[in-house]
Amino acid sequence: MTDIDVLQVATIVALVLLAVAWYLSYSASRLDRLHAKVEGAVSALDAQLVRRAEATLELATSGAVDPATSLLLADAASEALERHTHHPLSHDPLDGQTFAGREGTETNLTEALRAVLAEDTVQDLRRDPDSPGALALARVESTALRVQLARRFHNDAVREVRRVRAKAVVRLFRLAGHAALPQPVDLDDELPPSVLD
Amino acid sequence: MRIGIVCPYAFDVPGGVQFHVRDLAEFFLAEGHEVRVLAPVDDPDAELPAYVTSCGRAVPVRYNGSVARLTFGPVTSSRVSRWLEDGDFDVLHLHEPITPSASLMALWASTEPVVATFHTSNLRSRAMHAANPLLRPSTEKIRARIAVSEEARRTVRRHLGGDAYIIPNGVDTSRFRPDGATTRWSGTPARPVLAFLGRIDEPRKGLAVILAAMPGILDALPGVRLVVAGPGDVEEISAGLDPRVRAATEFLGAVSEDDKVALLRSADLYVAPHTGGESFGIVLVEAMAAGAPVLASDLEAFTAVLGDGPAGRTFPNGDSAALGEAVVGLVGDPEERARLRELGLRRARSFDWNVVAQRVMAVYETVIEGADHSPVESALRSGLLGRLRWPTRGEA
Repeated sequence: MTDIDVLQVATIVALVLLAVAWYLSYSASRLDRLHAKVEGAVSALDAQLVRRAEATLELATSGAVDPATSLLLADAASEALERHTHHPLSHDPLDGQTFAGREGTETNLTEALRAVLAEDTVQDLRRDPDSPGALALARVESTALRVQLARRFHNDAVREVRRVRAKAVVRLFRLAGHAALPQPVDLDDELPPSVLD
Repeated sequence: MRIGIVCPYAFDVPGGVQFHVRDLAEFFLAEGHEVRVLAPVDDPDAELPAYVTSCGRAVPVRYNGSVARLTFGPVTSSRVSRWLEDGDFDVLHLHEPITPSASLMALWASTEPVVATFHTSNLRSRAMHAANPLLRPSTEKIRARIAVSEEARRTVRRHLGGDAYIIPNGVDTSRFRPDGATTRWSGTPARPVLAFLGRIDEPRKGLAVILAAMPGILDALPGVRLVVAGPGDVEEISAGLDPRVRAATEFLGAVSEDDKVALLRSADLYVAPHTGGESFGIVLVEAMAAGAPVLASDLEAFTAVLGDGPAGRTFPNGDSAALGEAVVGLVGDPEERARLRELGLRRARSFDWNVVAQRVMAVYETVIEGADHSPVESALRSGLLGRLRWPTRGEA
C-alpha cells in the first residue's frame, strides 16, 4: 500500500515540476521574443529618425527655401544627426532602449519643421514636383510619417514587455535576466498640418 | 514586396472588411507587389480573383452579437499553414485578428512580421475577457496595429491595451468625380434637391429625422425635393406622412451604383441624419468626392471624416429642428455651399486609396525594418519548449 502511495506522490510531484519548468521556459522565451521585438522597433525608429534628419538637411540645402529657413532647418537637423553619431544605439542595444536622451533634439527638429512648413511654403515647394525642393519635401514627409509609425509601434512593444515583466513569476525567477527595462520613447513627432493632405 | 493578406469573413459575400481587403490587394498588385489573399469562401463554385486562396467553407455562426460567416477547424488550420509556407511573405497583414477565423489562425502560425487592422468598434468585452490570457501571447506577435477609425482604436485600447495607428478606409474617389452632367436629380434655384441614402426602414439611418424636419423646410422653401435612395417598404413610410411632405419626397428604392453616383453629383445638399451605428462614414467621403455639400449629424465617425476644416456642416444628432434650420440656411446660401463643396472635394482626396495605401505601405516598411533588426528571433524558435507554444510552420 505505502509503496504505491509513494509512487503516486512521486509521479504527481514530477508532473508538477515538469509543468512548472515548462511554464517558466515558456515565459522566458515569450519575454525574449518581446525584448527582441522592442529591439527591432527601436532600431527601426532610430533609422527613421536619421533619415528624417538627412531629408531635412537635404531640404535645407536644396536652394528652394530662403536662407533663414535653410539655416533653421540645417541647425536642428545637424544637431539631431550629431546626437545620433555620439550615441549610436548599436553600441548597447538594450541600454539603447532608453533612447539616450535624444528625445529633446528630435523634438526640436519636429518643431523646426512645423515652424517652417507653413501652408504657403509647402505649396510653393510643391509647385514643380520634379524640383529638388519638392523632392526633398516629399522625403521629409515620408520619413516623418515613418517616424510616427515606428515610435508608436515601439511604444506598444514596450508596453507589452513591461506588462509581462510586472508578473510575479517573472520577477520571482528573474526571467528577464539582466535586460534593462525598456522605456517608451516620448517625443513630439506631430506632422505639420500642411503636409498631411 | 511579398504581401500576404488574411480576411476573416467569406470573400464572396459583400461586406466592409472584404471590400477593404480587395481594394488594398488590387492597389498593391497594380503597384507591382506580389499579393495573396487568404479568406473563407461561401460558395465553392464562386468566381474568385486569382490572388485569392480559399481556406475553406464559411459557416454562419453567432459571434459578437450577430451572425458572421467564419471558418475554423483542422482543415482550415492546415490550409492556413500551407498558404503561409507557399507564400513566403515579407509581411503578413491580418484583418480583425481576434475574430475566431482565418486571421487568428494565421496569427497563431505566423513567423513573419505581422500587421493587424482592426475594423470593429463593438467588440463584446465578455468574450474578450474570457479569451484574453489565451490570446495575449498571440497578439504579442503583432508588430503594428492599425485601426480604421477612432472608435476601432478605442476598442483596441480597451481590450488589448496599447494603442493603434489610425488609417481610415480608402475610397476610390475617382469613381465619384463630378462630371458636370445634368440628371433628373439636378436641382434648380426654384426646386433645390436634398439627397438621402440608406435603408428607409433602418431607424439608425435617420430618415425619420429628416422627414420630421420637412414641414418646416417646406414652409421656407416650398419647391424643395427630397430624393430618397435606399431599399425598404415605401408604402409603410409614406402612409404616415403629411401630404405636403409626401408630394415633395421621391422614393427611388434600391438604386444602382451609377444612379447613386449621379444623385450625389447632382444634389444641392447631401443630408446624413444617421443616429448611430456608423463606425466610419464612407458615405460622407463618397458624397464629398462627388462634390455634394454635406450636412450630417454630429456622430463621432462623421465629425472625424469631415475633419478640422470642417469640410461639411453638422447638426446635433436626432435634432430635426436644427436639421431643418441648417437645410434652409444652406440652400439659401449658394456661396457657402460652393465653399463646402471645394473643401469636401479636397478632403475626400485624403481618403483616396492612393493616399491610404501609401500609409499602409509605410507601416509594412517600418515593420519589416524592425523585424530585420530583431536579433534573437531565429535562435528562439529552435528551442523545443518554445515550439510547444509557438508552433512553427508544418507543426501547427
